[in-house]
Amino acid sequence: MTEARTAPPAATPPADAPAPAADPPSGGRGAARPRAKAARDAEFTAFVRSDGTRLRRSAYLMCRDWHLAQDLAQHTLARMYAVWDRIREETNLRAYSRRVLMNAVFDQQRRCRGAEVVLADVPDRPDPAPGTPELRLALVDALARLPVEDRAVLVLRHAEDHSVDAVAAILGVSVPAVKMRSARALSRLRALLGEDFPDR
Amino acid sequence: MTTDLRDQFDRAVGDDPGAALDELADAAIVEGGRLRRRRRRVAAGAAAGVVAVLGAVAGLALSAEGPGADPDVTLAAAVQPVTAPSCVRQPVEIGATDAVVVLAAGATPAQRTALDAALRDDPRVGAHLFESREQAYERFRARYADNPDLVAAVGADRFPEAFRVRLDAADRYPEFRSRIAAAPGVAQVIGRRCAPDAPVGGVL
Repeated sequence: MTEARTAPPAATPPADAPAPAADPPSGGRGAARPRAKAARDAEFTAFVRSDGTRLRRSAYLMCRDWHLAQDLAQHTLARMYAVWDRIREETNLRAYSRRVLMNAVFDQQRRCRGAEVVLADVPDRPDPAPGTPELRLALVDALARLPVEDRAVLVLRHAEDHSVDAVAAILGVSVPAVKMRSARALSRLRALLGEDFPDR
Repeated sequence: MTTDLRDQFDRAVGDDPGAALDELADAAIVEGGRLRRRRRRVAAGAAAGVVAVLGAVAGLALSAEGPGADPDVTLAAAVQPVTAPSCVRQPVEIGATDAVVVLAAGATPAQRTALDAALRDDPRVGAHLFESREQAYERFRARYADNPDLVAAVGADRFPEAFRVRLDAADRYPEFRSRIAAAPGVAQVIGRRCAPDAPVGGVL
């Protein structure tokens, strides 16, 4: 079909290339010998042990569903594993994984949004008087009411403590846009959570 | 603020049912190994062939994307517009001459109209045009006419609405981008650096 990576355009192996080339174009490195695979798997597993929980939790904050979060985390990690030989040298695998995760979340917005609709439709609590902060939504419920892009900024910036610059790089938006979304999202959270929400 | 906020977020994940990380890794290795093999096959096909779909999710995300990553991701890449030949293939953050303003899936007609007006009145914008979901879909069908399976797998609803924009001055792209990216209904802004003969927006 097509190639979505922008990396080396024509350097991909021809269709009849010997099967076991592990890492497409990067010069014959690492035929998939069992030892190379074992080493790769060990390295990858170590990364999952160190970062998997945080990744799952961020996925949960994005989608408010632990099962979906597990799926998203696994999916993210699988995509990283598929290109592990290329990315393992990256200084910041964690930032890389967040980029993959957020893209997956954006792709899956419908599933995430499904959760929001359910929330919006629940009529089980009396309408609060306007302006009073007793919605008492849990933070995740309030997050679910934000646009997914704003949610991503909050999770990366405030749950995970990435710098504004890092968030901008992960999401591929400008630094001012990150600041803007963060401020907007925080003020919406404050409106939703009322006095429970720590003031700046 | 940050500390308190961190606490809140930490508490929000307090009901984490937990997961065995080694099992998670094993599952990812199995799934990822499949992606790897499929990607190799797809890459081989692409070499013989043709286009580079510049999947521009979030501008720079694509280092992560391979086609054939999985059905969903493959489609996500395939529905992205293709960078025009006279443009730099990688989207740029600064110095873009052209941009695609992708609308959010839930963008309302009113937001679209407002955006249209904003682009029309923006002195930095030389030209802009709207691409509807249906138009994007038609382009996609034409592009992949030789891949009926792919075409059959994708409906028009997969395609975002978008504005294609030509800027008058490339050095004003960052300010353009931050303004437009913040407008309601905008999912992302993807800049490209193109020769003057490129189509507006820098994509086919």
